[in-house]
Amino acid sequence: MTTASVLGVFAHVDTTVQAIRDLRAQGFSDLTVYTPVPVEEIEHEVEKVRPLSAVRLFTLVGALTGTATGFFLTIWSSLKWELVTGGKAPVSIPPFVIIAFELTILLGGLASALAILVLGRLPKLTPSPTYDPRFSVDRFGVAVACPPEKVESVQSVLSAAGAEEVRR
Amino acid sequence: MSAMDRRSFFKIVATTGAAAAAGGCGPSAEKLIPYVVPPDNIVPGIPAYFATVCRECPSGCGVLAKNRDGRVVKLEGNPEHPTNTGTLCVRAHAGLQGLYHPDRFRGPLSGGKPVSWDEAEKQLADKLGALAQGRQGGRIAVVSGLETGSLGRLMDEWVRLVGARPRIAYEPLGYEPLRAASRVAFGRDAIPDYAIGDSTYLVSFGADFLETWLNSVGYTGDFSRMHAFFQGKQGTFVAVEPRLSLTAANADEWLRNAPGTEGLLALAMLKVILDEGLQAAGADANTLRAAIRSADIDAAATASGVPAESIKRIARELAKAKGGLVVGGGIATAGSTATDALVAVNLLNAAIGAVGPRVRFGPASPFSRVSPYSDMTALTQAMAGGQIEVLVLVDVNPVYAMPPKSGFAEALGKVPLVVALAGRPSETTARAHLVLPILHSLESWGDYMAEDGVLGLMQPTMGPVQIEGKAVQARATGDVLLSAGRKALGLEEGKGPLRWASFQDFLRDEWQKVARDYGSNAPFADFWDAALRRGGVWRTPTTPAVSIRPEAGRIQPGAPKLEGDGSHVLVVYPSSRFYDGRGGDRPWLQEIPDGMTQVAWDSWAEIPTETAQKMGLRRGDLVKLTSPHGSIEVPAYPTDLIHPGAVAVAMGLGHKYPGGFASQGIHATGTVSQPNYLNGGANPIELLSGAPDPASGGLPHLSVKVTLAATGGRRPLAVPQATFNQDDREIAQWVGLGPARELELRGKAPEHASHPTMYPPVKYPEYRWGMSVDVDRCTGCQACILACQTENNVPTVGKAQAAYGRIQHWLRVERWQEGTAAKPVNMFLPMFCQHCEVAPCEPVCPVYAAYHTREGLNGQVYNRCVGTRYCGNNCPYHVRKFNWFNYTWAAPLDQQLNPDVTVRQLGVMEKCTMCVQRTVAAKDAAREVGRMVKDGDMQTACQQTCPTQAITFGNLKDGGALVSKLSASPRGYHVLEELGTTPAVTYLKKVVRAEPAGGHGKGGH
Amino acid sequence: MSAPPAHSATAPAQVTWADVNRDVIRTVGMPGDRYFAWMCLVALTLACGVAAWAWQIYVGIGAAGKRTPQMWAMYITTFVFWIGIGHAGTLISAVLYLFRARWRTSIYRGAEAMTVFAVMTAGLFPLIHAGRMWFAYWLMPYPNQRYLWPNFKSPLVWDVFAISTYLTISVVFFIVGLVPDIAALRDNSTGIKRKIYAVLSLGWEGSDQQWRHYRRGYGLLAALATPLVLSVHSVVSFDFAMALVPGWHSTLFAPFFVDGAIFSGFAMVLVLILPMRYFFNWYPYITDRHLDAMAKLTLVTSLVLTYFYVCEVFVAWYSGDHFERASVFAKATKEYAWAYWGMYFCNCLVPLVLLSRRARVNSVVLYVVSIFVLIGMWLERFNIIVPGLGHDFYPYTWGTYYPTITDSTIIVGSFAWFFILFLGFIRVMPSLSIVEVKEVLPHPLKHGAHGAHH
Repeated sequence: MTTASVLGVFAHVDTTVQAIRDLRAQGFSDLTVYTPVPVEEIEHEVEKVRPLSAVRLFTLVGALTGTATGFFLTIWSSLKWELVTGGKAPVSIPPFVIIAFELTILLGGLASALAILVLGRLPKLTPSPTYDPRFSVDRFGVAVACPPEKVESVQSVLSAAGAEEVRR
Repeated sequence: MSAMDRRSFFKIVATTGAAAAAGGCGPSAEKLIPYVVPPDNIVPGIPAYFATVCRECPSGCGVLAKNRDGRVVKLEGNPEHPTNTGTLCVRAHAGLQGLYHPDRFRGPLSGGKPVSWDEAEKQLADKLGALAQGRQGGRIAVVSGLETGSLGRLMDEWVRLVGARPRIAYEPLGYEPLRAASRVAFGRDAIPDYAIGDSTYLVSFGADFLETWLNSVGYTGDFSRMHAFFQGKQGTFVAVEPRLSLTAANADEWLRNAPGTEGLLALAMLKVILDEGLQAAGADANTLRAAIRSADIDAAATASGVPAESIKRIARELAKAKGGLVVGGGIATAGSTATDALVAVNLLNAAIGAVGPRVRFGPASPFSRVSPYSDMTALTQAMAGGQIEVLVLVDVNPVYAMPPKSGFAEALGKVPLVVALAGRPSETTARAHLVLPILHSLESWGDYMAEDGVLGLMQPTMGPVQIEGKAVQARATGDVLLSAGRKALGLEEGKGPLRWASFQDFLRDEWQKVARDYGSNAPFADFWDAALRRGGVWRTPTTPAVSIRPEAGRIQPGAPKLEGDGSHVLVVYPSSRFYDGRGGDRPWLQEIPDGMTQVAWDSWAEIPTETAQKMGLRRGDLVKLTSPHGSIEVPAYPTDLIHPGAVAVAMGLGHKYPGGFASQGIHATGTVSQPNYLNGGANPIELLSGAPDPASGGLPHLSVKVTLAATGGRRPLAVPQATFNQDDREIAQWVGLGPARELELRGKAPEHASHPTMYPPVKYPEYRWGMSVDVDRCTGCQACILACQTENNVPTVGKAQAAYGRIQHWLRVERWQEGTAAKPVNMFLPMFCQHCEVAPCEPVCPVYAAYHTREGLNGQVYNRCVGTRYCGNNCPYHVRKFNWFNYTWAAPLDQQLNPDVTVRQLGVMEKCTMCVQRTVAAKDAAREVGRMVKDGDMQTACQQTCPTQAITFGNLKDGGALVSKLSASPRGYHVLEELGTTPAVTYLKKVVRAEPAGGHGKGGH
Repeated sequence: MSAPPAHSATAPAQVTWADVNRDVIRTVGMPGDRYFAWMCLVALTLACGVAAWAWQIYVGIGAAGKRTPQMWAMYITTFVFWIGIGHAGTLISAVLYLFRARWRTSIYRGAEAMTVFAVMTAGLFPLIHAGRMWFAYWLMPYPNQRYLWPNFKSPLVWDVFAISTYLTISVVFFIVGLVPDIAALRDNSTGIKRKIYAVLSLGWEGSDQQWRHYRRGYGLLAALATPLVLSVHSVVSFDFAMALVPGWHSTLFAPFFVDGAIFSGFAMVLVLILPMRYFFNWYPYITDRHLDAMAKLTLVTSLVLTYFYVCEVFVAWYSGDHFERASVFAKATKEYAWAYWGMYFCNCLVPLVLLSRRARVNSVVLYVVSIFVLIGMWLERFNIIVPGLGHDFYPYTWGTYYPTITDSTIIVGSFAWFFILFLGFIRVMPSLSIVEVKEVLPHPLKHGAHGAHH
C-alpha cells in the first residue's frame, strides 16, 4: 500500500518536541525530524527509541587495524634487508611504536569519517520531498510517513502541537 | 711482457688514431672497451703500474703510475726507490694535474700562432744553423731545470756541438749557500747527505726539511724514524727559526731567533761546546777555536733574542747526545750571512763528531749540480747587452721565479729568438717567440739521478693526453733537440753525433754504460727490463772521508745585510704546496689548506699580533708590503708564531698564467667562475733585489726590510679551521715522555669509556676494518689529503665555497695548538670518517643511505641518498661532505678520475669510505687464492702515501694485524670518546718532552 | 584597526539564528577591489618564491646559504614554525570541543582553516630542503620490487607519518564540520553556485538520521585528534631530541615544542581572526569574551615557555656538560646573540602585557603582541637550529651561516602561499561556523523563560 507523508514546520524547539511526543503517543513512529543545529531535547526525544549509533564500532576497528599495520609494516620491512644502523638491531621496537601510534589515529579517524557517511546515508543524491530550505536557517521540521487515510489526524496533531505550517 | 712490446705499444699510442682508443682519453673513451686485441700490459679494468720518477721537484722520488685503461689515474711511491721508499709528498700527487692540465699546449706556437712542428723546428734550426756556421754559437744560451740524467748529458752534448754557452741548470731553490759552505769547510763543491734518521739529537737552523728542504719526503721519513716514540725512546728535535714553520711545529723545542742570526747562535753553541771541552775526540780543535775567537754567547743571545741559558743547554745536550746532528740552510734563511752561518753549522757538526757518520758527501744531494743563481744574472746581463740571439728555455719559468729587479723579463725583449720548451703556459712561455710543447714527464722516457748511486729510470706511463679527442702535439725534449740539432748542423740520422733516431735510443745507449758501470753481467735486455720494473738501479755509494779546512776558521757571521728602512724583516719561505711556484697551476694544491695557517686558495702575510693590533689589522685585511724593490698587496694573517720583527710571505702564488683555465676555473653548474682563478695571491719574490749573494752566488731571500701599510681593502681568506684551540675537548691528546714510558711498560690498552645499550652487540662475520692514526708521527705534511682526493674523485670547489665551509676533502689534517705562543705544542690530527660502531649518522637517515656494513664500515649509498643532510648534522666530527652543487672537472682533468669510484652527483652526501674499492679488490684477489685478506694485502690511499707511516689500516678481527696491535696501544684513544660513538679509528697520543703550560688535551691519564 | 562600531557592544544573545545565516553567508561571494589588490600582492610574492625554488633546484641546494656545520638552517626553522602554527586549529576544535569550551565556536572554523593551510605550507619545506627533492618520495613506504623501504628508526620517517596523519585528520575534521554549513550556503544560493554547493554539502538535510551519526562521529574524531595534536609536535621535536647535537639532545623537547606550538598557533589565530572580525563586522560573534579567552591562553603558554627556557639554561649549567655549556654560552654571546635575546623579548616579555584585562580586550594591542609572538617563535626555532649547529662538538668546523637571496625569497614565498590559500578560503566557504554559533545561541522556545524569538 502507498504511504503519504505529512510535514509540519515549527519555529520552536519545545513545540517540535511536543509534536514528536504526541505523534509517538498516537502510534506514528516513522518520523523524520529536520533541525538547523543538533538540539539536545529533540535528540533525546528521538534517540529514546533507537539503539546507540554504531560509529564507535567503525572507529574501534579502524584504530586496531592501524596499530596492527604499524607494527607489521615496520617489522616486516626491517627484516627484508636486516640493515644495522647506529648499532640498533634491525627490529627495534621502541621506534616502531611511534609509527604504530600514528597509523592508529589515522585509520581510526578515517573509519569514523567513513561511518558518518555510511550510517548517515551520505552523500544523499536526491533531496527528500519533505525537506525545506528553512531547515538550514531557523525552522524545525517533522515529517511523518503514514497511510493516506491517516493524514488528517496527523495534520491535526501537528497543528495542535503548534506547527507554523502543515502541508502534505 | 717485453720492453720492445711496450715501446712499440706506446709508439702506436703516441701516433696513430687507433692509439686514441688505447690511449684512452677524450670522447674515444667510450670506444675503449672491449679491445679487439688488447695491447699487452693493458687489460681492461685491471690497472697496470709503471715505475718512473717524479719530476715535480729535483729530489727525484720514485713513483708507480697506476694506468687504468690507458690513462694514469693515480701516483704512488715506488717502495723500492731508496729516496722515498714508497711514500710521496703532496706535490708529487699533484703532478697528475700537470699532466691533465686543461691549458696544456695543443701544439707548437710561433708568435702565439699555432704552427706545424716542421715549421717550428725549421725556425729554430735555421737560426741555430746560421749562428753555428758563423761561429756565433756563443750567442746561443740554453737554460734548463736540473737534469741529472741522460737528458742533461744530451743537452750538454748538443750545446757543445752548436757551440752554445754552457747550459745553465736553473733551480729557483738552489741552496747555493749549502754548497758554498761545503767548499769553505770541507773543500767539496757539493751538498752532503744528512742522515737525519740516524741522529738522536737534531738541531735545525731554519732547514724546513719536512716541507721543501732538499729531499723533503725522504727526510720526513727519516725524521719519524729518529723522533717518533718507539719502544720508550724518542729523539730530540730543536728548531731555530724566526717563524714557526711546519717543520718547527714538529720540534720539541722552538727557539725563535731574529732573522739572520743563525750563524751567531751556531758559533755560540760551538763556543759552549769547546769551552766546556765537550767536543768529540778527533775534532780539529785549532780550526774550531779559530772560528769562535770572536764568538760571544751573550752578544748572540741579545742579537738573536734566544736566552743564553737556552743556547748553553742545547749546546750541552747536543754535544753529549750520542748521534747529534745539526742542519741548516733553509731558503728562508738565505741571507748575506747564510754561507758563514752554514760553515758554522758544519763546524758544529765537526765538533760533535757528526761529520762522516751523519754528514756524508756520498751520496751527495742532486742539488749539488744546480747552477748558481749568479749564472742567471750573468746571462741576463749578456741578454741585455744583446749578446744572446737564441735563448732556449727548457721547462723553466725564470720570468716568475726571478725578481723583476733582476731585469730578466726586460732582457728577454732584447733576444731575437726566445724558444720555450714547456708543457703548459707560464709567464715565461707568454714571452717566448717560439713555444715547443714537450711531453709531460709521465709521458716520456728518461732517467734521473736522485743521489749518487740512485739512478731512477723513467718510462712513458701513458700516451700523450688527449684534449677534445686529439692527442696534444707534444714531443720529448730530447727528440726536439736531436732533430733540431741535426737540421741546424746538417747532420744525418744514424751516423755522427746526434745520430739517435729518438731520445729513447740515446737513453738505451746511455744505459748500456750504466749496465757496465753497475757491474751487471746479465744480458742488457734483461738488465733494462729489470730496471724498468724496479724504476731504476741503485747501489750504496762510497763515503769519502772529509775534514775541516783551516779556511773554515775565518768566518765572520755578523748581522745580515738588509736593504730598506722598513719596520719588519721580510721572510720569504718556499711553500710546502707550490714549492718555488711551479705547483701554482694545480687546483688541487691551491685548495689544500696550508699546514700551519690552514689557508687555502690565496697568499697571506704572517704579521706579528702586536704589529697587527697596532695597525688595526684583522685577518683578511689587505696590507701593502713595500721594499726598496717593489711592493705587493696581500691579506694579513696576524699570528703569535713569528718573530715580532718579521713578516713572512710564502712563495708560489701571484702568478700571471695566460691560459683560459688559469684565469677562470668553473667548478659547478650554475656557479660563477672564480676571477683570476689560479692567478690569485701575491709573489714575495717581487720584493727582492735580483742581485746574487757574493758569497754563495745564490739569490738572497732574506735581504730586505719592508714597510707595512693597511690599504683599507679586504680579501677574506679561506680558512676551513675555525680555531686552533680545541677548547678542552681533547680532540688531539698528548702524554709526557715519562708517563708514555710507564704506559709502555704497563703495556695494557686503556679501557675505553663504556656506554650502556638497549641492543645486542653488533656482529662482524669476517672482517672489521679499522684504522689507527699516530698523532706522534703525523707531521702535517698533508700528502694524505691529496692521495685521498686523487683516489676518490673528490672535487675542488674554489675559494668562495672553500671559505664557506663547503670544502669537499674527505680527509683533513687539523692543527691543534696548546701551550703558550712562546712555547707552543702543535699536534697534527688527520680527521676523516671514524666509521663508528654506534654511528650517529646512520639511524637518522630516513632511507638507509647510511648504514653499517657487515665489515664494520659506515656505508654511504650515494644513489639512495635523498639529501636530508641529517647525518651531516648528527656527525659530531663533521666529516660528511655534501654535494651542494654539481661539481665538474674541466677537461681533460676528468680523465684522471678513478673508474673504481663513483663520481657523486648534486645533492648527495659523501665521506671517507676507507677506500672500500681497494678493500673489495683485495678480497677478490684473496678469493682467487682461496684465503681471507691478510694484513698488508692492501693499503688505503692515505696510508700508502704517508711518509711517516702515521696511518695504519687493517682488519681489527685479526689479532695479529698491526692495526689491532696499535689500536690496543696504551697511547690509544678515541676522539670525543665520551659521546659513545665507539669509532673504528684509534688515535695514538702525541708524546711530548715538555708538557705544555696549562696543558689540556691529556685525556686518559 | 579602528574601534568597533557601537552596535557590536550588543551581546550575542540578541542575535537570531537567521542573523547568523545572513551575517556569515554575506561574507561568501564576490569580493571587492581591495581584496583583489591584496590577492595580487600575495600572488606576486608567491611567484617570486616559486622562481627562487626553481633556481635552487637547477643550481643545487648550495644556492641556499647552508654549509658545514649548518646543514640545516632556515628551511627547517620555517618548517617547524609552520607546523607549530598548525597546532592551534585542531587544539581549539578538538581539545576545547571535548572540554565543552563554548567560546571556541566562533573562532574554530578560521582556526581549522589556518591549521590545514599551515600544515600544507609546512609540508613544502621538507621538499624544498632536500638535496634531491625529486627523490623525496623515497621517504614514503611504497611497495617496490627491490623491497626498499624507509628506515623506520629515523625521526624523519616518524615526521612523515606524524605530519601526513595530522594533515589527513585535520582535513577530515575540517570538512566534516563544514558540511552542514555548506548545506546552509546551498539553500541560500541559486544557479551554478547552488549546484556546486549541493555537491559539496553531500546532500545534507539536517535530518535526525544524519545528525545522530554526525554528532557521534564528530565526537570520536575529536577524541582521536586530541592525542594527535600533542603527538605531532612531540615527533617533530624528536628530529632534534634524537640527535646528538648539544642543545638538541634533551628530554625536555617534546612538551617544550608542543607548548611553543600552541603559543604561536594562538598568536596566528588572533592575527587572522581580528581582521576578519573587523572587515566582516562580526563583532556580535567574536566578542571581547573571545579575545579575552584567547589572550589568556596566549599568556599562559608564554609563561610555560619561559619556564622551559629557564630550564634549558639551568640544565646546561647544572649538568656540567662542557658541550652544552659552550653551546648556550655561544648562543647568548656570539654572532647570533641578537636572535637569542630577541627571542626572550618577543616570547617572554611582550606577552606579559596581557596581564592587564584592558590589553586583553584591546584588539590593537592583541594584534601587535601576536606579531611579536610570531617573530619570537620563528627566532626560537632559528636559535635551536642555526647557532646550535654552528657551535657544536667540533671546534674545527664551527661556522656562521649567512642567508642568501634564494632561501630568504623562498621563505617569504611560503607566507604568500599560506595567505593565498586562506584568503581564497574565506571567500568561498563560511569562515564562521553557522551551525555551532547557532548552537550556543539561546534556542527558540515558545513557552521558555526568555522568549528570544518574536
